[in-house]
Amino acid sequence: MYLVKMKKRILPVSICLILGLISFAHVKAVYLPTNRDTKLPPDAVTYDIADKEGFEPLYETDILAYYFREDRDIFLIEDKRNGYTWKTGLDIPFGADINEQVMNAKDAEEAERLAVPLEDAMNTTYTAIANSLITVEYDEGGTIKQISSASREMVESRLLTLNGNPATRLLDVDFRNIDLQVKVGITLGENGITYEIKDENITGSGKSVLIAIDITPFLGASGGRLKYYNPETQMYDITEDKYMVPGYILVPDGCGSLIRFQNNNVSFTMYYGDVYGKDHTQDTYYTDRLTDAIPLKDPVMPVFGVAHGNGQAAFVAYADSAAEYMQICVRPEENLTAYTYVYPRFVYNTTYFQVYNNKGDGYFTLMSEPNRMDIRITYEFLAGDGSDGSPAADYTGMALTYRKHLIEQGILTEKFIGGRTNDIPDIASSSKKDTDTASDIPIRLDFLMSDSKKGIVGTEEVVVTTVEDVRNILTTLMEQYGIKNINSGLYGWQKGGESLAKPYSMTFSGKVGKERAFKELFLEFAQRNVDISYARDFAYINKEMLNYNGNAARHVNTWYLSLDKSVVLPKNSPVLYYSYAKPEKSASWFTKLFRKVYGYSKSVTVEGMTKILLSSYTGDGLELSVTDVIKLYQDTFENADSNVKLNMENPNMYLWKYTDRYLSSPVGTSQYVFETDAVPFLQMVLNGTMEVYAPYSNFSFYTQKDILRMIDYNVYPSFILTKEPSHLLASTPSADLYSTEFSNYEMLIADVYRQVNEALSQVAGLRWVGRTVLDNGVIKNTYEYEGTAAWIIINYTDETYEYNGLAVAPQSARVIKIKDTVTDDNGTVWQATKNEAGAKSIINCVNESAGPKGGTGE
Amino acid sequence: MSIQRHFYYKPEGEQKKNLSRRIAEKKARLAISGKRIWLALAATLIFASALVLCGSGTAAHASQATSYTYTMDEKGNLTRTQDAYLPDQTITDLGLNNPSDLFVDDDNMLYIADSGNGRVVKYSIGSGKIAGILTHEKMTNPRGIYVTKAGDIYVADPSAKKVFCFDRNFNYLESFGKPDSPNFSDTPYEPHKVAVDNGENIYIIGEGVYAGVIQLSYGGEFLGYFTVNKTRLSFIQAIQNAIFTRAQLENLVDRVPPTFSNIFIDHNGIVYTTTMGDNRDGLKKHDTAGRNMFKKPVWGGYGSMTDVYVDEHGIIYTSSHDGYVEVYSGAGEFIFEFGSYVLDLDVSGLFSNLPAIAVDRNRTIWTVDGDKGYLQSFKPTDYALMVYNAIGLYEKGLYEKAMEQWNEVLRLNQMSVLAHNGVGKAYLHAQKYEDAMEHFKVSGDRDYYSQAFWEVRNRWLQDHLPGIAAVIAAIWLASFLIKHFDKKGKIRRLRKKIADRVSSVAVLKDVFYAFRIPKHPLDRYYDIRVGKSGSVIGATILYGLFFLIYMLYLTGKGFIYQKTAVEDLDINAIVLGFFTILGLFVICNYLVTSIKDGDGDFKQVYMTPAYGLVPVMVSMTVVTVASYGLTYNEAFLLTVTLWIGIVWSVVNVFVGFMTIHDYTVRENMASLILTVVFMMIAAIIALIIIIMWDRLYGFLQTLVKEMTRNVFG
Repeated sequence: MYLVKMKKRILPVSICLILGLISFAHVKAVYLPTNRDTKLPPDAVTYDIADKEGFEPLYETDILAYYFREDRDIFLIEDKRNGYTWKTGLDIPFGADINEQVMNAKDAEEAERLAVPLEDAMNTTYTAIANSLITVEYDEGGTIKQISSASREMVESRLLTLNGNPATRLLDVDFRNIDLQVKVGITLGENGITYEIKDENITGSGKSVLIAIDITPFLGASGGRLKYYNPETQMYDITEDKYMVPGYILVPDGCGSLIRFQNNNVSFTMYYGDVYGKDHTQDTYYTDRLTDAIPLKDPVMPVFGVAHGNGQAAFVAYADSAAEYMQICVRPEENLTAYTYVYPRFVYNTTYFQVYNNKGDGYFTLMSEPNRMDIRITYEFLAGDGSDGSPAADYTGMALTYRKHLIEQGILTEKFIGGRTNDIPDIASSSKKDTDTASDIPIRLDFLMSDSKKGIVGTEEVVVTTVEDVRNILTTLMEQYGIKNINSGLYGWQKGGESLAKPYSMTFSGKVGKERAFKELFLEFAQRNVDISYARDFAYINKEMLNYNGNAARHVNTWYLSLDKSVVLPKNSPVLYYSYAKPEKSASWFTKLFRKVYGYSKSVTVEGMTKILLSSYTGDGLELSVTDVIKLYQDTFENADSNVKLNMENPNMYLWKYTDRYLSSPVGTSQYVFETDAVPFLQMVLNGTMEVYAPYSNFSFYTQKDILRMIDYNVYPSFILTKEPSHLLASTPSADLYSTEFSNYEMLIADVYRQVNEALSQVAGLRWVGRTVLDNGVIKNTYEYEGTAAWIIINYTDETYEYNGLAVAPQSARVIKIKDTVTDDNGTVWQATKNEAGAKSIINCVNESAGPKGGTGE
Repeated sequence: MSIQRHFYYKPEGEQKKNLSRRIAEKKARLAISGKRIWLALAATLIFASALVLCGSGTAAHASQATSYTYTMDEKGNLTRTQDAYLPDQTITDLGLNNPSDLFVDDDNMLYIADSGNGRVVKYSIGSGKIAGILTHEKMTNPRGIYVTKAGDIYVADPSAKKVFCFDRNFNYLESFGKPDSPNFSDTPYEPHKVAVDNGENIYIIGEGVYAGVIQLSYGGEFLGYFTVNKTRLSFIQAIQNAIFTRAQLENLVDRVPPTFSNIFIDHNGIVYTTTMGDNRDGLKKHDTAGRNMFKKPVWGGYGSMTDVYVDEHGIIYTSSHDGYVEVYSGAGEFIFEFGSYVLDLDVSGLFSNLPAIAVDRNRTIWTVDGDKGYLQSFKPTDYALMVYNAIGLYEKGLYEKAMEQWNEVLRLNQMSVLAHNGVGKAYLHAQKYEDAMEHFKVSGDRDYYSQAFWEVRNRWLQDHLPGIAAVIAAIWLASFLIKHFDKKGKIRRLRKKIADRVSSVAVLKDVFYAFRIPKHPLDRYYDIRVGKSGSVIGATILYGLFFLIYMLYLTGKGFIYQKTAVEDLDINAIVLGFFTILGLFVICNYLVTSIKDGDGDFKQVYMTPAYGLVPVMVSMTVVTVASYGLTYNEAFLLTVTLWIGIVWSVVNVFVGFMTIHDYTVRENMASLILTVVFMMIAAIIALIIIIMWDRLYGFLQTLVKEMTRNVFG
């Protein structure tokens, strides 16, 4: 009997044991984030009230107190909200001075007393750079040298007060060694400091050798190593790392990238972000070539920032003028110095290779006409975690601050927040009118219609989609899959196809469809609220397309720019070499081409000129500077029909005012080794001001994680399609569209759209106010508008994530929508509100999830 | 549809080196696939024309990777595909200095031969931490590492001239110095890489050892050389070999085979080697006798393979010195390539020097940058896993399941040759030959296409045999009936009448005259010589006709025999080459024969080749038409037909020139050889003029630019 009882017990016990063992043996798969993810926030920074010795108070606002140290040209900015102190320079003595003192000491005791710790790996030049307000780079016999406003010798600088106003100052610097005088206007603002260097305020013969001006390079720098004096050896031979301030640098590389402060152990090269991309007309060489490495991403906005600690102190810096000449530079730790630091570099001149014959012989020289610019850059300081409603001292706060600034400047307008639709009548009908009623997000479906390959005689068009095919495909998606909110761009519609048609040509390829057929298609779908547009690139040209004479952009050395694509194009492609159109031509082609279609097309799609910014040179010299070209492009788009929406591919900030749809927004970074995180900074800045689309899902952006990234980054899906199989394009320059056939994609389109729509349609009309990493691979995005709040929890991991009792399935996103509560991005506050309105919020939860397992509604 | 700017710079020389290497590689592959005798004429023409003529958006779609992934298309060219791997972890804090080899053991521990620091680092992939550091007083420069199933660690150290052996707890067990075998006495012994087989035989790659892979028994006894690389002579070296004396040859630099760069032994004990500087045999898989098991040469990166690794599924991974990672199936089929070279940028997944590769249990690839000293891992994407899965299923004989996977792959890349091949083979096994043909056509696999086509044709023949027999019978019956009933020759007369009418048009008569030449060339050319038959217009039409047929032959054959697509042909070069060579030949022959007392005038010289071309025209037409109905098994028929045509035509032309110039065979031969020499001289002179003109133009251009700059500027 006992045995029977025992048996009865043994069974459950052993089952429990086995289960326990199994569960114990089952090691939880750890989500190891890569530099394409956002990692957990940095540690908190520990800081004391700064020692203000040597600093004179200048001015005080409600938020900030400004001090200045004359001998080292350093502003000390104390944030009164939390006592955090920023210094525009490192505030360190010259090693040479200290060494001199030590050497001249009367005895060992005095030497020991005078031997204050020195910075390791900082010579006289770098000590000056680390302290100074500005550093000037100049050319001396073909090499670039630096001199700073607080250099040890050959420089004089003084701070003046302007108009008796303590908030407006002028730093007058005289670089005597090169005869260059620079006056820096400084405005001590409520939230931050603004520097202005006008072209007219740079004088002296040294202007001809001026290469660049760097502003406060070491503001926010972290790292460093100190050398201590060893009384025994009477040498500085003890080194010790300084306190590495936890935090990161934000650079607008791609979608936005964080470079965390860390000990690298390896010396990395620098990060140079050319704002609005490189001006190829001022490149070293006039020829360039693409390789197997994916091109680096260019910043589309002149902004960067630094955050110290976890939601404690940060600044965001943005240029309002001269951004087109700005480089955002980051020097990672171990590269020359032990610091990681970021600074803006404004480029006045550059060395280029002057070629004088066909063979390519030539010599290096400086541009005879330096760039002319009026620099204006502002540093706004942020404090706290955002719980008081102000922007948090992290990258989200930086994004919101910059966004607010752009809205104030009239560059961005909140068109889709709170159901407001402003001056966009058409799209809005498919967008949000009532924030409570979730309406469908848009999807972008582009079509490649034709391209050219080599034929027996000349070239031959390869038609992969006709007008009729577009009609059928869109109808299928609308009727079979119920996708209603579609907009679409047609590529390769002109005679000659995508790569060989003249940019301004209104000649239609008969095999694709005549203009009348296009017109009918556009009008037919306009009635069904589907917006179809012609798409055209106005920047890249080739010799098969048109004659370079008068059309192609010239390098400063007067040769036409050339881009060799032979490595990335099929070798039997009809064209292998490209050039860039002159900016005036791009602008006039745009006007010429699209003026004809405004009658029946509700939008136009522009490529190339939206993200490429070049100066215009003639054989005689500069015709239009990049500043002029920006103005020209702005005027061009300003003059476009206001009833026609502009779809732009990855446009630079100066065009955002005219952009209705931001196509192929980057969802990643260039992935420099020292870039630690990718963050949706760009998307946060743009949120609610225009429709922002993801890159085409056809090409390595189709997996579940990529779908989640679309939800996380709040970008809408996009695809490029053809009716015919894409292997037909194998010998055309569009061979990189290796996977486009609609029949292969209809299911995927439906699936991607369903998942993204389920999540994002619920936050449409709300303002994106916060983004938190809850755990590695788990993100919480906070949306809010006038008391209505929603969280989207995105779980990239392979494990279920529990968020306040709500399960988020592996590799899925879940929307938690709460009405009539005050939104907060802080987990603790959420708990507190839950106590009060916990039951209510759960009742009012609208739970939706996107993921392989579908809804997990509770 | 976007093109991004910002490019990676390499020094100009380096860029050119890589590009030219790449182009040469592509050309070599094309040459291999295109070696068919019956294409010789075309090739000769193109080559000749090239000699004469030599004076004369890709969109970067937002990808999560940092370099493009390539696969091979049906023509053997690299073509873009979905990302196969994404850069995963970049580990910079291990303090590595000049790391040179990697190995992953069965416990997913990564061993790094940290040469510059004279140590081996054991890194736990699971925890992301260093699990141990192996040092030994005599180990100063560990460059190769191998860990056996038992956990013994073998380290090759060229500086210590030893292979060290440690147990799994880093306890020193023994070391293998230079074998004292008399066979080995003269050979340098600097172990560079090491591998150990299941029988504990040690395989060593030694620096400066040209004799092959050193094989030691577990006791350290020299067993011999496991495998050797062959010396391949360049064209010039081969000529030197043929004409130099022994003494002269001895004075030349040693002609040594390329040395092995790495060695690996997989779970099944199969030995793999890589060789640098050899892109045909860069990667080899050896049988127990050391022979290469790959039937076709494996495309060996850019001839700079540094390491090879084989995972438990038999997938082969190699690394190239210039930063590329290549992946092959167990059978040596090229699957992927990714990575790139960068000089002055630190971007995840791009390298300035890639010396080693290893793959862990999760199929994550581990690499290390030799210069920068950081580890870089790559995670396979869903797409890559899908491809591997399909290959695995196919190798297991699960054709149906493999086909499902391949179809998934095709959804993501319709250009995937591997997938089309996979689906095609599965259809072939399922005896769905038409479907198989369709896929082999896209994948460009003409062997398999031919097999499938043979079956389809066989079936067709079987199905239509009665019909074919009936048609033949009907024709035979008709001719019999005509012969029988048309005794008055009405039909014969009708035929003659038509022929006469056609002949009454002078031009047509002149053209049709060519058809009479093949039978009696001597007599017919005599008629041309005396001006009785033939005309310049007729000859011109014949040339035009021949050109048309030739173009059709070049571009319009059936899939099996049409190796080059129209878009891959340099049509301009062919057209220009064709007419330039013809023109040059006619002019040179006229000039030569004028000196050498030839009777023929310029018109006749011009007409002679044209009238001899009928056989080659007929044979090319036959070959072009027949290529649609024949498989590879009958290739010889086409070759023979073509050659008959060519030889016959050559004989015709030869006889023609002999006749019109009234030469003996010997004189004729001499004049033709001289003609060819003249043609070459003319081509060379043309080249020189073009080059001189180019120089002059450049000089004038420089002069003008300088003048405008300095005088007017």
